[in-house]
Amino acid sequence: MTNFAQSAQAHLETLENPDARREAWRAFSELGLPTTVDEVWRYAPLGELDLDRFAVVSRGAAPEMSPFAQELAAHAGMVVRVVDAEVVEVTGDLEGVSVERVASTWSPQYASDAFAQMNCALSPYAITLRVAETAHVTSPIVIVNTTASDTSFAQVHVTMGRSSQASVVEYLEGGVNALVVPLTRYDLADNASLRVSTYQRLDASAWHVARSTGSLGRDARLRQAVISIGAHYNRSRNDAEFLGTGAENELRTTFLGSGDQVHDFRTRQYHRVGRTRSTLLSKGAVADESRSVYTGLIEIEKGAKRTDARQTNLNLLLSPHAHADSVPNLDIRENDVMCAHASSVGPLDELQRWYLESRGVTRADAERLMIQGFFYEMLATLPPELADVVERDLAETLRGVEIVTP
Amino acid sequence: MSTLTIEGLRVEVAGKEVLRGFDLSMSSGEVHVIMGPNGSGKSTLAHALAGHPGYRVLGGSVRLDGVELLDLSATERTRHGLFLALQHPMEVPGVRPVDLLAAAGAAREGLLERMRDEARRVELRPEVLDRFVNVDLSGGERKRAEMVQLAILRPRFAVLDEVDSGLDVDALGAVARRLQEATTEWQCGVLAITHFRRLLHELTATTIHVVSEGRVVATGGAEMAEILERDGYEPFRDLAP
Repeated sequence: MTNFAQSAQAHLETLENPDARREAWRAFSELGLPTTVDEVWRYAPLGELDLDRFAVVSRGAAPEMSPFAQELAAHAGMVVRVVDAEVVEVTGDLEGVSVERVASTWSPQYASDAFAQMNCALSPYAITLRVAETAHVTSPIVIVNTTASDTSFAQVHVTMGRSSQASVVEYLEGGVNALVVPLTRYDLADNASLRVSTYQRLDASAWHVARSTGSLGRDARLRQAVISIGAHYNRSRNDAEFLGTGAENELRTTFLGSGDQVHDFRTRQYHRVGRTRSTLLSKGAVADESRSVYTGLIEIEKGAKRTDARQTNLNLLLSPHAHADSVPNLDIRENDVMCAHASSVGPLDELQRWYLESRGVTRADAERLMIQGFFYEMLATLPPELADVVERDLAETLRGVEIVTP
Repeated sequence: MSTLTIEGLRVEVAGKEVLRGFDLSMSSGEVHVIMGPNGSGKSTLAHALAGHPGYRVLGGSVRLDGVELLDLSATERTRHGLFLALQHPMEVPGVRPVDLLAAAGAAREGLLERMRDEARRVELRPEVLDRFVNVDLSGGERKRAEMVQLAILRPRFAVLDEVDSGLDVDALGAVARRLQEATTEWQCGVLAITHFRRLLHELTATTIHVVSEGRVVATGGAEMAEILERDGYEPFRDLAP
């Protein structure tokens, strides 16, 4: 780890607050990269990860936004353009919304997470999107997050003031042979409402290790969707933490695996107080020789009465060489709760396919429609003006996937 | 003028031969009704005609204008002009009716408008067509939605499996009237499978076939329905070989 370590240590000296960076880097160095012996990393092809392939350097010139990113931007009320973790441009002006650069923070919750520590050491600052108290932002805010160099350690905080409402779409692109490690927080004050969708379309060579945490105050509502298409190894950890009663979280995660991709999804629905509700729907499809794992934890503290927590994980096998694992976990320390989980792994439903064929749809089109449909269900969180754009892009991607049915 | 000819059709379901030499012939614009007790093979006929994967054809022939349908895939049979409306139309989450019909060959131009018009004709709220195919629809709404598909695809022959089951009087009337109109609008041949005579209040049968133990045991005109109403299926059982 010389190239990576040397370039990282040189780089962090150029950032603000280098003392704290050195501290985070030291913590990361002591911890070291995880290995597959760690239960939480057992499915990751960590043996292939050679950090010395990546040099940590300052941001290069901003490349052109892709046509797709431009289309998203065209439908947004505000566009925050991020290249290699730095804000390069903010366009549009929405009342009650500000974009600030705040010194990166480190939280003890990341103590055992080497990649989060790496981010805390190397992210230039926390890109902080602040929505003022009681502001109702009706136009979507789009964050175009591009990786142009070897590495990107973006830190994004969305801070929702009391009783505010907003809708955020984050799009990730670029990342050829890169290490992309975003760290995200969604902090919702009492009665705030946030819809956030992340669409990950990184290059198929990228390593993407992402983590997001939502904290929900009393009566806050977080509706989150994570749609992942790209990266060689895609890890997406999404946690929700309930701090106030009446809070609700709906999380939809979905992925399409192709080639030899690995999609590694982890979720944690952490109910610290009662009368809170979480609904999680995770759906994925694996084609070719791709693999996926879904590991979800529902955690309910003693005293969190009347918690309602649900978890569903559905996996579609599009090739006999693809593989999906589903690992639901429950840790419940209170009796007066409603808790449910379900999961399935299998090919496309033969009878649904026949139904479409019996209307005159060809087999290939029937399968295509069903797979598109599998994903379309997950787009409900997107603001309507962007749902069509993402849906068309997804349909285009799906056309390139080979479906082999048993 | 088109003809549908079923000859000596034998079909197996779960290892049991349910259709045992079924014969029927009909032409465009006609309404043939198949009646018979539970287990006589009525639904098996519908599913076998549409190529359901759970039904295995053992022998016989189904020709539409001389083309052997049994040699064709489910898709090709429908594209050749045979449409099946199901007793329990399936939910297909994530697929919208408009995309289904476009993929089935309906012209995209003005499709949504035509679908909405057809929905109104069978008293189906057009908003229902914005939902995914049959998802969260009531039994009655599903049957009406099948009629919308039928009207857009305009098959030469429509096979309706227990189209009247689970329908209230209003829904049944709407569906029956739409089928009746189809027989003149594009000379659709209608092959309706039913338990009940009430379908025939609004749909004028050309011919009624009584089925028992996997074959047609009696064929007659509309008066046949009255005989069945009066005497039940019992007298016909003896006719089965």
